[in-house]
This record gives sequence, C-alpha cells and structure tokens, in this order.
Amino acid sequence: MSFGLTWKVLRKDLALGPRSPFFLYAIILPFVLTLVLQFAFGSLFSPQPRLGIVDEGSSAITAQVEGMDGIDLTLLEDTEELRTQVEANDLDAGLILPAGFDAAVKAGDKPDLQFFIGGESLASNRIILSVTAIDLVRELEGGSALVAVDVVDFGEAGLPISVRLVPVIVFYALVMAGIFVPGSSLVEEKENGTLMAMLVTPVKSSNVLAAKWILGTVFAAVMAFVTLGLNQALGANWLDVFVVVLIAGALSSMIGVTIGVFAKDSTVLFATVKGLGIFLFAPTIFYIFPDWPQWIAKIFPLYWIIEPIWQVSIMGESISSVWLELTVAVGITLALVPAVVWLARKMQAQMAAQ
Amino acid sequence: MTGPAIQVENIAYSYGDLQAVKGISFDVQPGEILGFLGPNGAGKSTTIKMLTGQMSPKSGVARILGRDITKDDPEVQAQIGVCFEEKNLYLNMSALENLDFYASLFGIKDPDSMEVLRRVGLAERAKDRVHSFSKGMRQRMMISRAFINKPKVLFLDEPTDGLDPVTSAQIRATIKEEAERGAAVLLTTHDMFEADELSDRVAFINDGEIVALDTADNLKLKYGTRSVKVRLRDGDSVREEHIALEGDGSSARLAELAASPNLMTIHTEEATLENIFIELTGRGLAG
Repeated sequence: MSFGLTWKVLRKDLALGPRSPFFLYAIILPFVLTLVLQFAFGSLFSPQPRLGIVDEGSSAITAQVEGMDGIDLTLLEDTEELRTQVEANDLDAGLILPAGFDAAVKAGDKPDLQFFIGGESLASNRIILSVTAIDLVRELEGGSALVAVDVVDFGEAGLPISVRLVPVIVFYALVMAGIFVPGSSLVEEKENGTLMAMLVTPVKSSNVLAAKWILGTVFAAVMAFVTLGLNQALGANWLDVFVVVLIAGALSSMIGVTIGVFAKDSTVLFATVKGLGIFLFAPTIFYIFPDWPQWIAKIFPLYWIIEPIWQVSIMGESISSVWLELTVAVGITLALVPAVVWLARKMQAQMAAQ
Repeated sequence: MTGPAIQVENIAYSYGDLQAVKGISFDVQPGEILGFLGPNGAGKSTTIKMLTGQMSPKSGVARILGRDITKDDPEVQAQIGVCFEEKNLYLNMSALENLDFYASLFGIKDPDSMEVLRRVGLAERAKDRVHSFSKGMRQRMMISRAFINKPKVLFLDEPTDGLDPVTSAQIRATIKEEAERGAAVLLTTHDMFEADELSDRVAFINDGEIVALDTADNLKLKYGTRSVKVRLRDGDSVREEHIALEGDGSSARLAELAASPNLMTIHTEEATLENIFIELTGRGLAG
C-alpha cells in the first residue's frame, strides 16, 4: 500500500470535510451537548464564589483560601480597589487582613476584620464566603467548633450527575466524528461514483479505506479531547488523556469504516447506525447509574474505550491503570481489519455490477 | 512498446446466470479509435469495466500495453484514462481542484489543469464548484479528467450521451485530438453517427458477442446496397426510382434520368451503421 497515495486521498478528505454537513455537525454537537447538560445539571451558570483579599501581613488565612478549589480568589494590594470591585460586582466579597492580624487573633485580642459583601452577589455565594471566613478565623484562633454538625446526605452518594454525564457527551463526540464522518464519507463516495473513479487510477481501495480511517481517528480523538476540555475533565495528565482518546478514536473510526464499507447507500448507513445505537450507547448508561451491575457494561465494545477515558481523564488515574482496557480496545480495532478487507472486496464487486 | 495497446482474447463475464460478455476478442492499436457500437445491455460497459480493472473476466485474457489486466498493476492504471457513463465528479470541489486531485493520484507534480480545462472550454469556470455546472459542462469535465494524465489508452463510455449537438461536437473534436496524439481509444456508444464520425474501426456488440468488426466503410460496402435514389417530377406529384449500381443497363438508365428535365435529386443509398446492425442482429441500436 502506498502511503503517498493514502496521504493524497486524506488531504482531499480534509479539504472536503468542512464542506460536509456531517463534519460540521460533529464539531458543533459536543459544544451544544456540553452547554445543554451543564445548563441542566451542572454549574455552568452558577460560577464559584469570588473572594478578593487585601493581605497586609502575609496572613495564614490567605494561604488557606489559595488552597481551596471551590473559591475563585483575587489578591489585591489596595483597599479602595477591593471596595470598588465588590461594589461593581466583579467580586462577591472582599476581606481586608491588616498587618499583625494573625498574631492578634492568636493572642485573643479580637481585632477588627473588614468584610465587604457585594449587594448584587448571589445569596449562596455570600453564605459560602461568610461561613468560610468565620471558620478560617476560628481555625487560626485554635478554638473548636461551637456545635457538632451532623451532615445527612440525601440522594445518591458519589459524583454529581454533571460529571457522570461526561461519558455520554464524549460518546457522542466519538460516534459523530469517529463513526459517522468516515462512514458517511465512504458511502457518499460510493453513491456519487467518485470511489470508482479513484479506483481506476493507481489508487487501491486500501488507500481509500486507510485515509478514511485516519481521518476518523484523528477527528474523533481531537473532538473527544476538546469535549473533555469543555467539561473541565482533562485533569493534569492531559498527555495520558490524549493517548487514551487516540485509541478511542481508532476504534470508533474502525467501526465507522466497517459500517461505511458494508452500507451500499446512505439509507443503509443510517439504518445500521440506528440499529447499532443501543449496542454502542449502552456502556455510557452505567456511568449515569453506578448502582447497576457494572460488569454488564463490559459486554459492549465501546466500554473498552469509555472506561479508560473515565478513569484517566475524570478520575485522574494514570494510563498504566487502564492497560487491560486499552489492549482490548486495540484488539477489537485489529480484529475488525479482516472484516473490512472482506467487505471491501464485496463492495468493489457490487459497485462494478451497478 | 510495439503491438496493440489493447489486446483482448476471448474474455467473458457473467452476472450470476446472465452471461453479459461471451468470449469476445479484439485489439486496438496506438492512435486508433475503436467504436464499440451496441444497444443498452449489449455488454459494452461490462467490457470496459473488465479492461479498466473494475471487475475481473471470468475467462479469457486481456492486456493493456502488453500487461495482463488481472494483475492489478498500478503502472497500467497510471497509463489509462477513463470517462465513465455516470458523471462521478466531486461536486463540492472546483473544476481545478477536481483535476489537480486526480493528477496527484497519477503522481503528476505540476499538472497543467488549466490547459486541459481550456481544451474543453471550461477555463473561465475553473474556480467554480462543479455543482454549479450544467450537464454539458460536467460531461466536458469528465472528458478533461480522463485526459489529465495524457493516457496511452482511453476508455470512453458513452461520452456524448444526452448532450446537445454543439457540446457533442466539441467533445468529439477533443477525442480525435487525443487519438492523433497517439492514444488508443475504446469508445462505447449507441450513437451510430458518433461511431461513424470518430471510429477508425467499428465493432458491433450484441448480447455479449461481437457480431462484426471492421472499418465503417468496409461494413457499409459489405452489408449495404450499392444503389442510388432518383426523384423526378411527375406532373403534380414526385416519383422515386431506385437504381442498383451493379447490373446491366444501370449506367444507361442513370444517364437517361440525369438528362431528364424532370430530375429533382439523386442520392446514393449507402447503408447506415444502424441499418447494418439491424440486418446483423435483428434489433435496433436504441433498445
């Protein structure tokens, strides 16, 4: 197989891609899904509480707030600037920690503490910031809590639904970019006769199929990566995440090419993807319902790419912890190659007979 | 290379039980246009599909430029140009992008796509997407794509089917130029005038078999009638007389009619290729 010819076909597909509705749909869908699901279940429109601090004496409180994930901290030099930003609702609250504040608190002097609250800030943010400030001062003082709070969780324990929906969004990114784009591109070439026009040149069907597979792999990997980024699920191991989504893209694209070779026209393509829909989608349901027996998810092929994405990107595990899943995913990808070769022979005979 | 550019010996193909091509043989020399004349379903397109590697013959041998076509040889594919009956262009690409892409598949680094488009009268629309082209323009694009690699062998499947006379004439002129350049051309058509005008030799194909293969003149001579039709004014009506050119007394009768003041017209009654086809197969070309 000539890599040069594969590259030429791929370059043509990349040039034609943005002119295809499927290509554009595959780009837009993860953005829209992220927006909709974050709006419905997430925190997209309820941002973190924003606290400004003017620290005149390197207080331990500032260091404590810096270490808190749930608070958006801004350090300022000037008290007036802090006041202005709180008034303008650029910050929800502002804290002025004078020089010697920590020492005074520890000595039991009860020094004054100025705490600005923005009138337009969300009530929930005001409560969070006020309680946090009081807790931190008490901690600094070394005193114990006045009461013991018994926290009772209602609803399901574990990760919030907005996080558990991330595999669903990633699944759609993989299906659209990895399955639909190469599959529909191949079917379109068959329907328009352009595939046959290529096959009477030095190009072989292996060049065309390899180009479609690479197109789907790269596109799916990029879209899955971008989707995870949009959902703030890339974590610190983004290189590991990219390797995982690349393998995920490779399997998705191989499924797309297989369906594309099998389907003689767009109707069959859509019917096949629809028919396979639940079979492909099933593993993502188990992330939404963690109480279900998780072993069932392993029956479905896309589990072996969704699970590594979940573990490495969302749970922050290293790539070595999902080597088995990735090996199975690569194995399924390779196992589909003979099927594609066999179907490609049938496809060429069918096209010639038309 | 010397010898025929296309050499076909007894190739056959069947779709299930239906035998589409039944062991046909012919050859095409470099610079020659062979017209494959036959009605729809006669086996013309199947023959082209076998020769261009789209399908393998069930039996027989075919060589393009001396190489066996069943070997799937990229060097042979690099030397052929194919104009399909179906217009299979990238509609979302411009005319220039289409040609440049196909040229790249042939390994042509700096294709002169604009010159090729100029030859078919599409240079001014080079940057327009093909979906905005008329049927005739798309067909000219098909022809130009078949020529992009300056092929030694050209397969043209119904290149002027359904086109207006002006576009058809332009395309025929371009095909002739390619043959003059030295390309061997296999032209399938069911248009007898096209076959007559373009072909150095004509093969009649019917039900998967070649029923006659010769120059158009020889076929007309062999199967046609050597006679003239004379039209004469006869009072208020017109009278026709057919005079065979062979036989006793025909020259004298012709001279007599030519001298008549009532003579209106004299026409030779040369057989058309369609007449000959009907005589040989019992069916017309349009069917």
